[in-house]
Amino acid sequence: MSRGGGGYDRHITIFSPEGRLFQVEYAFKAVRTCGVTSIGVRGKDCVVFVTQKKVADKLIDASSVTRLFKITKFIGMLITGIMPDAKSIVQQARQQAAEFRFKYGYECPVDYLAKVLADKAQVYTQHAYMRPLGVVSMIIGIDEENGPQLFKVDPAGYYVGYKATSVGGKETEATTVLEKKVKAKPEMTYEEAVQTAIAALQGVLSEEFKASEIEVGVVRAGFMDGSFHVLSNEEVETHLSVISERD
Amino acid sequence: MAGEGSQYSFSLTTFSPSGKLVQIEYALKAVGAGATSLGIAASDGVVIATEKKLPSLLVDEGTVKKILMLTPNIGVVYSGMGPDYRVLVRKARKTAQVYYQLYKEHIPVAQLVREVAAVMQEFTQSGGVRPFGVSLMLSGFDDNGPQLYQIDPSGSYFAWKASAIGKNMVNAKTFLEKRYSEEVGIEDAIHTALLTLKEGFEGQLSSSNIEVGIVGADRKFRVLTESEVADYLQEVE
Repeated sequence: MSRGGGGYDRHITIFSPEGRLFQVEYAFKAVRTCGVTSIGVRGKDCVVFVTQKKVADKLIDASSVTRLFKITKFIGMLITGIMPDAKSIVQQARQQAAEFRFKYGYECPVDYLAKVLADKAQVYTQHAYMRPLGVVSMIIGIDEENGPQLFKVDPAGYYVGYKATSVGGKETEATTVLEKKVKAKPEMTYEEAVQTAIAALQGVLSEEFKASEIEVGVVRAGFMDGSFHVLSNEEVETHLSVISERD
Repeated sequence: MAGEGSQYSFSLTTFSPSGKLVQIEYALKAVGAGATSLGIAASDGVVIATEKKLPSLLVDEGTVKKILMLTPNIGVVYSGMGPDYRVLVRKARKTAQVYYQLYKEHIPVAQLVREVAAVMQEFTQSGGVRPFGVSLMLSGFDDNGPQLYQIDPSGSYFAWKASAIGKNMVNAKTFLEKRYSEEVGIEDAIHTALLTLKEGFEGQLSSSNIEVGIVGADRKFRVLTESEVADYLQEVE
């Protein structure tokens, strides 16, 4: 009998003989080989995420390069993977969240937004005419009922809430580090959460960052209405100093 | 039912020379790689249960719900690809609501099963789509009494007295065959379900790594709370 899938199982999202979807697996590979690692940590009343800022060319205006996006005033998204796909999913997320707010009269919950994006991602894994997006998105926000939330959505359409998670080239190593830290300290304060995230990233990459080399996004309950904001270079510098003094 | 804007007007699931629909067989492989789920139809109710295997202890288990309600008297669980499951749950819920809107009565279990199975069959024949990589275990209580149905990626469905799907289904079904009896009540069925899960479980069974859903003669489907599951586990030990 000829090899299953007619050889197309590697090109479109149909099942391979082992029941796998190669296109989805390749999409994950694209995320892992994009050259950056990102980390998200949920604290007692905050959620933070941090990622490397890699500017390909010195002539590029660094302020225009970012992988952190504000979806609504209260929801932030960090995307790791192929940037054009990232821009596409950000547009979809912003539209969905705005539509929700308009239709139902209250802010779009984080888990609902994650579900909507995950369901869209699932469609690409089942319909041959569109390839899966090569991005993994981390979504953070303070939910009215459930408190701080950190969700991750991947090309397979899988989404789940996390206490801490990582994406990208060093995600396996980072997850191991985070498991230990979260186990030791399940309820972190804002400073602890930010420093855990940055320190973990520095650890797995064996690098000491300058403030311009990372981006940090946070949501804090009770602070600026729980809105999402990106830390300025000065704020990042403060945290970096605390970490280096500690070590 | 071709996808929007799709260029594919031909089915991706086609017959092999030996007359098999290999995409469906591969989809079953995907189901067989999923966490084990099972169901038992008792004389006065139905119980469904599943392993909740989380990839890391960093995952917030409260956000993971595998057993879901389709109507107040019908619940469902799956083995296989989670994202595909969500799509089917959404379609099933919509179908049930459309029926209710028309007849002002809850949809009978068998009819809901038929509609969901029809959707799954469509995806084995329509252009440019692949079959769903899930098997569903539907439990419900209606005027025909307690019922348990299993629906496969091909869209074929059967009513079962007890069945299992997923990684450990062979051993689980053998175990169930030995222990099943027609007169068993729902309390005993829950114990049997837990024992069956325990058989193939890697590690220690606890209330935080399994989910159990029941529907009794009261026709109210619900997912047991963690403490209820813990109590049943203690009774089983």
